[in-house]
Amino acid sequence: MIDTKILDTAVQDLRNVLRDGLVATDIWERSAGLSLAGFNQQPVAVALFTRITTELESSLTDSNFPPLARYYLLDMEGNHTVAVVNHGALLQGILVDNKRANLGILISVAIPRMLETIARAQSR
Amino acid sequence: MTARSVSWTDAASVAQLLARASAPRAAVQTFKIANASSAARPIPPPARAPAAAPVAEASPRAISVPPPTRLKSQFPAPKLVLTSDNPSDCVDALLAWTLDHQRCTGAFIADDNGLTLAAHGISEAHVSLVGPLLSALVSVRMIPGIDATAGALWLGNNMMSWVESRNERGGFCLGTVGSEPLSSRAFEQLKEALEITVRKL
Repeated sequence: MIDTKILDTAVQDLRNVLRDGLVATDIWERSAGLSLAGFNQQPVAVALFTRITTELESSLTDSNFPPLARYYLLDMEGNHTVAVVNHGALLQGILVDNKRANLGILISVAIPRMLETIARAQSR
Repeated sequence: MTARSVSWTDAASVAQLLARASAPRAAVQTFKIANASSAARPIPPPARAPAAAPVAEASPRAISVPPPTRLKSQFPAPKLVLTSDNPSDCVDALLAWTLDHQRCTGAFIADDNGLTLAAHGISEAHVSLVGPLLSALVSVRMIPGIDATAGALWLGNNMMSWVESRNERGGFCLGTVGSEPLSSRAFEQLKEALEITVRKL
């Protein structure tokens, strides 16, 4: 069981922390590709990052590399940075404008807070 | 002879001589004394000197020393008060408090990997040196009795002073850059302020 109210709270907290630097976020079930909470939700991105994450994890395994831990980052054109956060059964994509959002705040504050809150939502 | 004796009895000439001999000399010596205690430090505009005593009461050799000028780091800094629970606000408030109350030209807050959370007056490239610095200090802390959660590092042009604090999510560092290392009192103030902030992150 996943408490979706806690997920909504987590998204609101993320908006408060990153402010106008947050462009979009989605939290979705990895197996079904179903978005459970988000802000400016992007269904295409959900499908894309589910596929990329699956490929990445299998490639790491096949190469005898350590498995994916908490997150990975993509630096994209147009001052956009995507963080894909691994919550286990859930994945989360966070798209930020890296001119407006501080990456230090994203990585050291926002992502650890999301990991804790969503772990709490999944333990219900 | 006659002309000389007349000039020494001339009240206007005597007053002029006294003014030349006493007032300017006292002012010059006061300036030197004030500077000797604060050499090579940024000095705020000097406090206005107290009103000069009447010439008749002042001895020509008297030196009036104004109270020593206090630098902002010598005032007890007010305790950091965070009015918001938002981590970004807390980090910004800590940065502003540091710049306002410590003797520095720049300040930063970084995580223990050297990633900048907020900075002013220092480049992110310089802040990143906190990562390897704090990593190196992990082994230093293995020595019993060594805290090593604060220190100063000469960067070549500036002195970086820093303190470290941790919460359950990791370590955070508050640093300043300036011409001199901070005092031990300033380190205590920074550490307390960082601990207050880190609790909200």
